[in-house]
Order: sequence, then structure tokens, then C-alpha cells
Amino acid sequence: MVGLIANPVSARDIRRVISNASSLQVADRANIVLRAATALGATGIDKIYAMPDKKGIQALVQRGLERERNMGHRLPHVEFLDMSITSTVDDTHRAVDLLAELGVDAIIVLGGDGTHRAVVSRCATIPIVGISTGTNNAYPEMRESTVSGLAAGLYSSGAVPGSVAVTDNKLLEVSVNGGELTDLALVDVVASTDRYVGARALWRTESIAEIFVTFADPEAVGMSAVAGVLEPISRAERYGLHVRLGPGGRRVKAAIGPGMLSSLDVESWARLLPDQPMKVTPEAGTLALDGERELELKPGDEVALRLRPSGFVSIDVGRTVRWAAKEGIFIDS
Amino acid sequence: MADNPFPLDTEGLLQAYRTMRTIREFEDRLHTNFATGEIPGFVHLYAGEEAAAAGIMMHLRREDRIASTHRGHGHCIAKGVDPKAMMKEIYGKVGGSCAGKGGSMHIAELDAGMMGANGILGAGAPLACGAGLAAKHRGQGDVALSFVGDGASNQGTFLESLNLAAVWNLPTIFVVENNGYAESTSRNYAVAVDSYVDRAAGFGLPGITVDGTDFFAVYEAAGEIIDRARHGGGPSLLECEMVRFYGHFEGDAQTYRADGEVADLRENRDCIKSFRSKVEGAGVISADRLDQIDGEVIALIDEAVAEAKAAPEPDLSELLTDVYVSY
Repeated sequence: MVGLIANPVSARDIRRVISNASSLQVADRANIVLRAATALGATGIDKIYAMPDKKGIQALVQRGLERERNMGHRLPHVEFLDMSITSTVDDTHRAVDLLAELGVDAIIVLGGDGTHRAVVSRCATIPIVGISTGTNNAYPEMRESTVSGLAAGLYSSGAVPGSVAVTDNKLLEVSVNGGELTDLALVDVVASTDRYVGARALWRTESIAEIFVTFADPEAVGMSAVAGVLEPISRAERYGLHVRLGPGGRRVKAAIGPGMLSSLDVESWARLLPDQPMKVTPEAGTLALDGERELELKPGDEVALRLRPSGFVSIDVGRTVRWAAKEGIFIDS
Repeated sequence: MADNPFPLDTEGLLQAYRTMRTIREFEDRLHTNFATGEIPGFVHLYAGEEAAAAGIMMHLRREDRIASTHRGHGHCIAKGVDPKAMMKEIYGKVGGSCAGKGGSMHIAELDAGMMGANGILGAGAPLACGAGLAAKHRGQGDVALSFVGDGASNQGTFLESLNLAAVWNLPTIFVVENNGYAESTSRNYAVAVDSYVDRAAGFGLPGITVDGTDFFAVYEAAGEIIDRARHGGGPSLLECEMVRFYGHFEGDAQTYRADGEVADLRENRDCIKSFRSKVEGAGVISADRLDQIDGEVIALIDEAVAEAKAAPEPDLSELLTDVYVSY
């Protein structure tokens, strides 16, 4: 059994106005789901449990499934979870809880870094298959959903063992005032001196004080790219990077968002070691988690971070399909 | 006081607070006084939605034009229309913004760039296109904004205006004030897309969604889209997700709302409470200073109501004046 969380409302923030970021429409998101479902069906999966939404992806997916069935195409049955819908992140949390109760083998996630973070915050032990439909997308790789669906199906059907398909991922645990409030980030935590979350996205760099990343990738967009142009660190390495911004060091240019190349003054940077508590600067007024300002801090709040090398599990899509190919799983005759 | 970690200086923050509090007090007072039967016509109150009007209008100049809706008091106040003249207008008295002959849904003050509240749903969008076209020809960087509710966003006039603004690259901004209800019809029943951003994209213009109960979210987003429009970047759509504290109109029994819904919104999504908590919490403005503004606003609205009640009704001889324009 495979679960599906498709966020109908990611990619709606200010970056569409300031930097020509994409706005993936609901009809396209529904088509992504249908292509993944087709691939799941091809691997023998006959049932998908999906998060419902109001007038978005669900309606278009149901219409598409009916169309496919009319034409005699075999697709898995998609059952939308029985839950109330709030059109907020609470829906994702509730859906993940229900998928965990149902015992799905894997969860396909459509969304940006924020959606993936919402899924992992609720369940870190069911492997996720990320499909990027958000804006920054440092965590989910850009990949055709047909292939992602294939990988999920190959794992769920048992054709590819977990020892091959499933991989550990790093995450950052955030704790305010010794656990009064906790949260997490899959890719980056940014401490900003602003004291309001405002329009949430991060695009003005002058208020950024510190950046913490689980991996530093110059191929990404967002804060991982800032770290990545200093010292590339892969997803597989056990450490991350901590970057302090300020005068007196190096000036770097990085893609802090789609269509946004910014120059930042970097005071220093250092590796972020696993399981070592780190204090965030007391100047922090807000914390951005995976590219969006999330937490407004009060003066005097103490924030600590910790890099967890085995924070959550996902399916390594490339490794899974390559292994399947070597084993001849795709060869019918 | 601490360093200011907000995008406005202290004066700007105080102005934003005063605007929101003035709107709230104005609307709360109308809620109370309408029940006595002393106000003619209909009123549709903006209470709960103040952060959108204030956050957007803080970026506008007097020359910029707005086209409002049936729920227009907040837009008027934030754009600089005199609350006392508005109150007289709503009471139907001499000295009102439109000589006491238009009432709540027709308050206009062209000198303030307020082209009018509007009783016709979706009718403001074409007006904002016209004002945007004029601004584009004048070439002085002025912009035009149209406000529309989630219900009226289904009107053809609104959708055609999106297209017109896009093809002419007008400095026109479409603000969708999504309070979740078209009169009593849930947005989820009546709007076929989950996000208005999809609608904007269908017409080739960018759209963004913000929490309309967070003043700073609206302020930041509106600043970017207004600046873009001023500098030739063309139209955009801004969806503010917001909440309505009162009914669609005064007298609405609101049987379509869940038990406790409004109480929960007032407790957890009150834009003024949230603003106070942020600026006080950061130590930038004291509670005493904000309380002082509360007192000044209450006194202003007291005076506005007293003056409106005391003012005479328009003379019968004025029945047909201001109705037709001779060219």
C-alpha cells in the first residue's frame, strides 16, 4: 500500500511576483498524481490512500481516473482518506497520522520543502518519495513523477528490498527555551533579526544572521545554495554546515531562490557535527525553516539546534530503479 | 525601547495601529447603532479584516486610486477618507462624503483617490483598469487597486479585468479579500479552484496568497506588488485570507456558520491583537502608547456619531443634484 500527500496550495507565495517563480496549477498537480499512479499500477500496486482536499487535486484526479478506466487503462484504486478538511497544514498532519495507522509502506509527497517538512514532522519512519511542486525545493529533487511512482511501487511491492531502496536523511531539530517549543527542518534553518514572519519567504538577505543546513548544494536554490557555494556537502555525509553572515569575511553570490541571485557577506562557516547541540544567535527575531519564516521569537528566547544524521527515511529513487534494472525486473521476456 | 526589527519605523507602526483601530471602532459602533434602527439602508462591516486595508494602503499615495466593494468602510478609512464625513454619509446626513445621499455602499472621495464603495459586486475591477490606464498614460508611477471578495471574484467583470490588465500591462492590482463566504455561500462550494493564484496564472499575471490577518504579511507582500506596478511591472493579484467578525450584512443571522466559529476567530485570528502582541512583545512600542491611541480613536468615533446624529438630512431640493453630469 502506498500513501499520497499532494498539497494543492504550495507555490503561492511572493516569489511569483518578485522573481518569476513558477506557479504549478492544480490541473498539472493532478496530472502528476495520475502519472505516478500509472507507474504504481505497473508495479502491481492496486490501492493508494490519498489526502483529500476541497476543490483541488482530488476532483481532478477522480475525473482523470474515471477517464482512464473508461479507456480500459489499469490504474490503482485511489481512496481518499475520511477526514475533515481545513485547507491548512493541519490536513497534511492528519493525513500522515491516518496513513501511518493504515500501515502504508511509503508516502509519495507532492509539494515543496514546506510540505515535505510537514510530513516528516508527523512521521519520520515511513519512507517518503518526494516530488517537487513547490518553489525552492532543495529537499525534493526535480524528477518525473512516473519514475518516482515506479520506485515507490517497486519498494512497496517487495520487488526491491528496503536495504536497497530506503535511505537515511539528515534533519535539524530546533528547540526554543529548552523544549518549550520544538520544530524541525529538512534542509535549512535561518536565524533572521526581523521579528515578524510577514510574507514568509526569505528574499531580503540583510536581516539574515545565521544559516544552518543539513546539506550544502550549489545545484539547489535557497539557503542550501549559499552554503553550497562555500563548501559543498552531500545529503549522504554525516555533517552539515553552519554559516555566519556579517562583514569582515567573504562575499559570495548564490541562488537564494528561483530567479534570485544575491550577494551575501559571509563572516565565517564551519561544519555542523552530528548530534552536537548548537546555540542560535540571541539576535534572532525569527527562525525560517526550509525557506519560510515560521517562528517569531521573543527577546530573551534561547534557541538550540541539533543535526540528526538519521532524522527520517526516504526512498532513493535513482538507486531503486537502477537496482531493479540490474536485476532484470523491467524485462518481461 | 528596543531596536525596531519591523519593516516600518515607530511612526509607521503607530499609524498602522491607529488605522486598524479606527476601522474596528467605526465598525463596532455601526454594529451597535444599526440595531437601534437609526441608520438607513444596509451596512456591511469590515471588522476582522483591518490588516488588509491598512497593510495595503500604507504603501499608497493620495494620487493612487482604489475601487472598493460593498464592504468598503475599511478601505475608505485606510485611504484617508474622513471618518466623520463617512459617518454622516452612512447616517444619510448633510456633510456626508457624498452629501448624505449615497450611504454606506456609495462612499467616494475622489480627492483621496477613493473611487467609491460599490453595491454592484465585481464592478470595481473595470474601474481600476480605467484608473490604471489613465495612470499609465500620465506616466507618474501611480497605481490603481481593485478590491473584490471571494464571491465577486466569480463575476465576469472581474475575470475580464484580469485579462485586460494583463494585455495592456496596466499598473492595476487586484486584491481578493477572501473571508470564506460569498454572503452566506461558502467559498469551498462556489469557487472552483483552491487558490486564486491559479486564476491569475490563467490570465498570465502573477498572484500570491498571504495571511490577511497578519498586518506584516500583507504589508510586505503589498509593498512588492505595488512597487512592481509603479515601475512598469504590470498587474498582479494579491489574495488575503481573512476573517469576518460580523455577518454579511447587519441583521444577518449567520446560520451558515459553525457554533463557536466567530468566537474562535476573535480569540485566535484577530489582526489587531496579533499586531499589538508583536510590537509590544518586541519592546518597540509600549502598551500605554497603544492604549492612548485606543482612547483617541474612541473619542473620534464618539464625535463622529454625535455629529452625524445632529446633522440635518439633505433638503428635498437636492434630490436630483449630483445625479447627472453635464459635459
